[in-house]
Amino acid sequence: MIRLLTVLLLGALAVPAVAQGQTAGDLLAQGIRAYAVREYDGGAWLLRRALAFQGADALAPAEAARALAYLTATELSRNQRDSALAAARRLIVVDPRYRPDDQAFPPQVIAIFQEARRSAPTVSIRALSDTAIRPGVDAFVVRLAATTGPDVTAALTNADGRVVRTLYTGPIRDSIDVRWNGLDVSGNPPPAGRYAITVIPTGRDRRGTWTLRLPLELQRAAVDTAPPPPAPPDSLFRPERGDYPGAWKALVPAVVAGAAIVVLPKVVASGERPSSARLIVGGTVTVAGIAAFLSHRPGRTLPANAEYNRNLRESWRRNAADISRRNAERARQSRMVIRPGAAVLTTSEAP
Amino acid sequence: MSKLLAAIACVSMLGGLPPSLAAQGRMQFSFGGTGAQEIVNSRLNGSSNRLTGLVLGGEGLLVSERFVVRLRYGQGRVTAGAAGGIEPRDIVEGEALVGIRATPWLTLWGGPSARAYTSEGSDQRWLLWSGRATARAGLLPGRMQTFVELWGALSGNVTNPAAKAGGRGAEAGLEMRLGGQSFWGRLAYRIDSGHAAAMRETVEAISLSLVYGAPQ
Repeated sequence: MIRLLTVLLLGALAVPAVAQGQTAGDLLAQGIRAYAVREYDGGAWLLRRALAFQGADALAPAEAARALAYLTATELSRNQRDSALAAARRLIVVDPRYRPDDQAFPPQVIAIFQEARRSAPTVSIRALSDTAIRPGVDAFVVRLAATTGPDVTAALTNADGRVVRTLYTGPIRDSIDVRWNGLDVSGNPPPAGRYAITVIPTGRDRRGTWTLRLPLELQRAAVDTAPPPPAPPDSLFRPERGDYPGAWKALVPAVVAGAAIVVLPKVVASGERPSSARLIVGGTVTVAGIAAFLSHRPGRTLPANAEYNRNLRESWRRNAADISRRNAERARQSRMVIRPGAAVLTTSEAP
Repeated sequence: MSKLLAAIACVSMLGGLPPSLAAQGRMQFSFGGTGAQEIVNSRLNGSSNRLTGLVLGGEGLLVSERFVVRLRYGQGRVTAGAAGGIEPRDIVEGEALVGIRATPWLTLWGGPSARAYTSEGSDQRWLLWSGRATARAGLLPGRMQTFVELWGALSGNVTNPAAKAGGRGAEAGLEMRLGGQSFWGRLAYRIDSGHAAAMRETVEAISLSLVYGAPQ
């Protein structure tokens, strides 16, 4: 009796402290030890904590089944029959073939398991352990099993419960493999995060009676993608209408230079009689200025420039689309790691 | 004069460097050849002679972000044509100028320019140190531009007879890209007027140039 009290006291004091920073496996082992020394309250707390881990830290399916078996026994020992029955039902979902050890558990616990097996929906979901797939190429497979052949819908849902992609709708005859190719309904890989494969009955009489959830944690390897090309700056675009300022900027200097050629000889060499050759050059410069003025086509639309600008924009769009497509392709080629957790069955009648 | 020729040759060789090399140094080189029809009006003590002829030459230009160096050389022969009693002259002329780009459109220059006339048995050399200003404007940017250049002598001298000399002049014209990326053509009118004692030499020229590399 003294020994039992000591263990209870130590357990009660130690449970909250040791739970900090411990793995699910550690908590499971401590929960089983607590059951063995009949410290049921602390044991139930430890086992629930062990089962609460998600993702990569969660218990493996076999360990989860073991934890649920001990939780069933612990709750029954605490005279919490409903909680024990709920734990037993969860255990049947996690592992429909699980058989409690007659040597480890008393007959009352075995009876609870049998009752849960009789009353629980005969549907289960199983997945392999961590799986890496290439979205759109490989598939993540879960097996749905049922003995009564219910009509169900299986869908991938996000953390908010919204459907990311419906995976299967129809009956389960014995068992079926449901495959998910890693893409959402729009054909893109969903972002990393927590998801679940949710199975619900669709038969008119069964609708809303139970929900089976297999938590999934998605992780994506970093993908080396190219940044989208910047839009071409305004300086690269040509004016689509002829501009007066540019036209005048061409004409005025040419006229000034032409006039200078005609006048300057009289200034530079006054008293000399300059040759008329200068008129040829001065006239040529002036005519070139007039031609340049007209080439700016002041006020008129410039189809060639509009075409050039259109091609520039199209080229940029094509480039951006090409990079976007290549990035999407790289994202598809990168592997997605899917970590399934312990399945949870929720029924309308069970807590 | 051979030194001037050597300098022009050096600049021409530099102009042949790959454009990428020049771009790395933020410098541009250009070089080219020029053909000019020159008219020389020579006055001495009230009498005047008019001679014309073809002068061929070359030029090199080295342009950095801020500074410019220009070398020009030409030689030819001018004659009085049908007029009798006037000896033809061989002309050799050149200049070596250093400029600063005051603004993108205005360059200020300084340096010597020389012209030598050689006729039978005698020669005369003019050497003028001048300050210059060149203004440029693009008519079609990157394709066609016009320019006007004015100069005035700061000091100078002439030989045979030896005397101090002065002068001024102007040049203006049109530069246009020819077909490919690197060749430019230039049509220019130039007038130089030098004076010393009772002499006055006025040279007019219409020139056509072909330049490889971007002009200034």
